[in-house]
Amino acid sequence: MKRTQLRRRAVAAAAGLTAVVLAACGPDVSSGPESGGTGTGPSEGTLAAPDTDAPSGEITIWDRSGDLFEVFDGVIERFNERYPDIVVHHEAVDIDTKLPTTLVAGADVPDGVFLDDAKVAGLSDHFYDLSAVLEPYLGDIAAQKAEVNTVDGRIYGVPWDLNPGLLYYRADILDEAGIDPASIETYDDLFAAAEQLKAARPDAAPIHLEKEPFLGQLWLEMFASQLGTSLADEDGELRLDSPEYLQILTWLDEVNKAGLGTRAEYLGPADLATLESGQQVFVPWAIWWDFAPQQLLPQTTGQWRAMPLPAWTDGGARSGAMGGSSFVIPRDGQNPELAWLFYEFLVFDPEGFQAVYGPNAIYPDGLNTSVPSYAPAADPATPLFGPLAALGGQDLWPVAIEAGEQIPGGTPIPSWWAGAVDYLGDNLQRMFDGELTPEQVIAESTEQIQTNLVDRAS
Amino acid sequence: MTITRSAAPARRPSGRRPTASRRPSGRRLAPYAFVLPFVVLFLAFGVYPLIYTFRLSFTSWSGSGPAQWVGWDNYTYLLGSDAFWSSLADSAVLWLLIVPAQVVIALIAAVLLNNAKLRMRGFYRTVALVPFVTPLVAMAQIWIVVFDADYGAVNRLLGAAGLPQLDWLTSTTWAKPTLALLFLWKTTGFAIVILLSGLQSIPASVYEAAELDGASRTRQLVSITVPLVRRVVLFLVVMQTLAVFQMFAEPYVVTGGGPYGSTTTAGLYLYEHLGRSDLGTGSANSFLLVALVMLISLLFVRLLRERD
Repeated sequence: MKRTQLRRRAVAAAAGLTAVVLAACGPDVSSGPESGGTGTGPSEGTLAAPDTDAPSGEITIWDRSGDLFEVFDGVIERFNERYPDIVVHHEAVDIDTKLPTTLVAGADVPDGVFLDDAKVAGLSDHFYDLSAVLEPYLGDIAAQKAEVNTVDGRIYGVPWDLNPGLLYYRADILDEAGIDPASIETYDDLFAAAEQLKAARPDAAPIHLEKEPFLGQLWLEMFASQLGTSLADEDGELRLDSPEYLQILTWLDEVNKAGLGTRAEYLGPADLATLESGQQVFVPWAIWWDFAPQQLLPQTTGQWRAMPLPAWTDGGARSGAMGGSSFVIPRDGQNPELAWLFYEFLVFDPEGFQAVYGPNAIYPDGLNTSVPSYAPAADPATPLFGPLAALGGQDLWPVAIEAGEQIPGGTPIPSWWAGAVDYLGDNLQRMFDGELTPEQVIAESTEQIQTNLVDRAS
Repeated sequence: MTITRSAAPARRPSGRRPTASRRPSGRRLAPYAFVLPFVVLFLAFGVYPLIYTFRLSFTSWSGSGPAQWVGWDNYTYLLGSDAFWSSLADSAVLWLLIVPAQVVIALIAAVLLNNAKLRMRGFYRTVALVPFVTPLVAMAQIWIVVFDADYGAVNRLLGAAGLPQLDWLTSTTWAKPTLALLFLWKTTGFAIVILLSGLQSIPASVYEAAELDGASRTRQLVSITVPLVRRVVLFLVVMQTLAVFQMFAEPYVVTGGGPYGSTTTAGLYLYEHLGRSDLGTGSANSFLLVALVMLISLLFVRLLRERD
């Protein structure tokens, strides 16, 4: 054999060997029926509190940029008075974009992250099971918040805020039309009130209809939450094809077809313009909509009020949950136990939750865009934030706390929830476009979600 | 016109070249030492991710814990998925909207900018390249503002002219053309530079001879310029085809893939798997995309050879 041939074969063999070696450098592969990332358990993936009286070290905490970052930033000083040897590196990050890739890469993973409840289950393989550390507090945590952080019986997030749905309305316009807000007890009452307003002012389309698919689905889930249901049950089984969803979608479709709704993206330019003009009068939304009259609606600030949502049936729940966030602790972080101490202080320690919700540099009257999900912090008689001038001096605290208490449990969030927006979120908008009936929204979304998400996740 | 070649190649220096076995071992190894850094980097950042991804494409893995071997399941799922084919169709439509228009626009612009009589030629060349060097995300944000249906400058102008105002970014009819316009705006400067290099490689004597023969400017463009830059044009088409099928940031920032998934390009659809921690399907998707792009590129190369 010639030398050149030998050399070529040697090079080919070396390349093949390199390929085999490189191929072995991936994740462990099993042929069993279990899906990847189920390596949690008492020995692996369950967090325990630190067993020292003087914990020390450094933690990196990720928060979304904006007002809440500033609020949490202001609490670090108080935390350090309690734990002087823990250094907190607080970073403002585009979490939705950066977290998934960081978790997969496993490098520079933060010790704690502020995350939407809707996304906790989808990334739960990467987080510590917090059941053990949360155990002393579980009895006082709102059921809905514990459920949305639970996957296969394990809790992956420290439940933070509760976001009860409320009905925001223009008090001046209702007063002018002679409509008593207290008379709006059901969605049929709301429909009738909208008709009355439209009769008096033909260009009015009084009820907000959300146009953005993600928020539209979140909004739909608020209505479903009122009826004690959600996209999937605790076993992850899809339950969209139900009388509850049909009732909600039918009502929304009727509002749209009767010209009683304004389709607009949440607080986008068109939304703000129609809110200011009086074209929109009713906004059924989570408590955090109160940001709008405080910051974005200068012409009508002070004219808005909040009340519990109407009920779907006489005597039914007057609120449902919409959105919310929790704190997760990644398994690849350096000091997860210290991150737990930080979140324990923020959520369960009176000094911590008073610092977060009470008057602070960012919210001089207190943080009023949500309420605590931890019962001792959510005492109706002990408000953490004061009355809102943007709501005409209304004391929102008791309204929100009482609404929060009415949110039914039994509404977990499946791991594929965010992915469902491509189907249910879009199909809801197609219904508003007149392309689909409520029955078709349910049938098509069920088929699409089952095929592309539920079956793929199992 | 005649072309002369030098009569004979330059002679080699006299004397025998030492064979490899006679060279000192240090000199024998020197070439390998020179290419070693590249080989190491290529293995680490080229071959390794490729093999890793290929292996991953046969698994179900969320990025944590052991992966589950699923065989061809990810591939069969994608090939039977409406969303996968829809993302390819979206990219194909964008290709049709972008690449032919870009070649024509860039060729005309390059011919103009190649004209030695053009005043301030350097200035115009710089201006043409400015969008290409501007950060894409900044441009995308401007696009959102300019094409906003309610408050955008474009609709204001249309309204002032008495023309109907359009849902540029929020209707399935107009979202793709608006995105294509952004891509054209952003990358046509690059296309002009590529074509300019091709134009500058055409000897001036060819045009001089054509002028002596009485060929008009248009005739010169059609019969000389276009045929002689054909290879460069094809290179440009292949490059832009790759770019369009990998397009991600534009739809991600401007439309988020909407409305109703109408701007979910192949590149964005691929990313959506990562966002759902479905790395196995994402890997399979990337390999299907690689296969498709390779096929298209080979097609263009074959076309070029046939023409030659």
